[in-house]
Amino acid sequence: MRKIGDRILQGYSVLLYLFLYAPIVIMVFFSFNDSRLLAVWRGFSFRWYEMLFADPTVWTALYNSIWVALLTTIVSMVLGTMTAFVMIRYSFRGKSILDSSLYFPVVIPEITEALSLLLFYVFTGIPLGGLTVAIGHIAFAISYATIVIRARLVGFDRSVEEAAKSLGANELRTFIHVTLPLILPGVIAGGLLAFTVSYDDFIKTAFTAGPGFQTLPLKIYAMASRGGVSPQLNALATVTLVVSLALAVVRLRLSKA
Amino acid sequence: MIVLLYAFGMIDLFRQFRFGPTLEHYAEFFNSVAPSVFARSLMMAFATTVLCLLLGYPLSYYIAVKSGRRRETLMLLVIIPFWVSFLLRTYALMTILDVNGIINVMLLSLGLVSEPLNLMYNMQAVLLGMTYNYLPFMILPLYASMEKLDKSLLEAAGSLGAGPARSFLHVTLPLTRSGVGAGSILVFVPAVGEFIIPQLLGGTESFMIGNMIWTLFLRARDFWFGSAVSIVLIALVVVMIALYMKYITKGEEMAI
Repeated sequence: MRKIGDRILQGYSVLLYLFLYAPIVIMVFFSFNDSRLLAVWRGFSFRWYEMLFADPTVWTALYNSIWVALLTTIVSMVLGTMTAFVMIRYSFRGKSILDSSLYFPVVIPEITEALSLLLFYVFTGIPLGGLTVAIGHIAFAISYATIVIRARLVGFDRSVEEAAKSLGANELRTFIHVTLPLILPGVIAGGLLAFTVSYDDFIKTAFTAGPGFQTLPLKIYAMASRGGVSPQLNALATVTLVVSLALAVVRLRLSKA
Repeated sequence: MIVLLYAFGMIDLFRQFRFGPTLEHYAEFFNSVAPSVFARSLMMAFATTVLCLLLGYPLSYYIAVKSGRRRETLMLLVIIPFWVSFLLRTYALMTILDVNGIINVMLLSLGLVSEPLNLMYNMQAVLLGMTYNYLPFMILPLYASMEKLDKSLLEAAGSLGAGPARSFLHVTLPLTRSGVGAGSILVFVPAVGEFIIPQLLGGTESFMIGNMIWTLFLRARDFWFGSAVSIVLIALVVVMIALYMKYITKGEEMAI
């Protein structure tokens, strides 16, 4: 009786994993299909990728995605580290509010974040464009970066800092030569997460980009909602996917280091 | 900073309200499609949450009773889809549900249907898309709560004569309640305001609040009415976040 139950559970789990992965695998697989038809295999080919990269708007979108994400990463790493330090080492009034507000972007519907950004820009009269997109990404990526960096700081052994100080190093030297190298994997992991959050973002970007500024997700959305499914879009989605996954793998390695 | 931004957003939302003919906008709100769109969004989010819970609970259990490397690998397989954005995952679903997609190609070649089926642009497709995208959000906190479950309690229940069903109902389920709560909130709250999935997979019958806000702000440029809709959504979210705070677990730290 128990055995049969276990078998059913196992079979069910395999099916559920299949459900999670099949669409993505099929999308990637048919991006290499040498046919205009979506789901009839005609042999391996890079033709959709060649067509894709012959399109200058794809390159512009890629370029925009990358500079916005890089800017987001750098600012989030610096501010995230500072926030994480403040939260770990000091207690102050409103700390618990700050603490719970860190989780807001993780849980609230993204459309309300996007909206508050748009209204903020309309209110202040800042013209929409690449910079407003980056500012929006930074505002929310800091949260993610802080959560990751703080997790690293929790297990930090402060006695090594005291040792450095008792050997005559000042605050700055201690930070640069002792603290920073020890927390660097966490800081980089936080930065990579900020990069991913920015690189993958669609809704905030759509609300704050204004006309004329396009990132990869905006390009994918425009193609998907206008022309529907196409092998060329499969190829673009695959390229975007590979970057996201590569970043995640590096992050995973760092968190295990 | 986020709080500040929100504050700005809020002030602006209310400012729009005060200067506008307020009552008229409230009237407009209640006479429009907004209430029915809200009802539909809440219903869709609720259905998604229930589906994720029903689908995710057995899998979380399956992973939690495994040990060592197997468990790690199985968990990693749940986390990997997190690394792929909603937009890409929804597009991936489109490629299989399309009129020329793999499901239709297979059904046609097997002779099960004579015409390709319209699998997209309806409520079921949206529900499928939401469940597909949100499932990992449910599994992570569920798993976190089951991992902590003391197996000896189950053995105790068994040795005291409780069958599997009884010990599940009276031991496992109550002890994983926090995971169920956290998972439900993590799915329900973002699902209410979902935009991409109903936009790409749905039709007019599955128009949700997210689509409405999008249309009002980015298409119609009707900021006043858009603000009214958004305030109601934000109020809903605040209530739900208050609930969420009660259930905060390690689940979401694992997710990122």
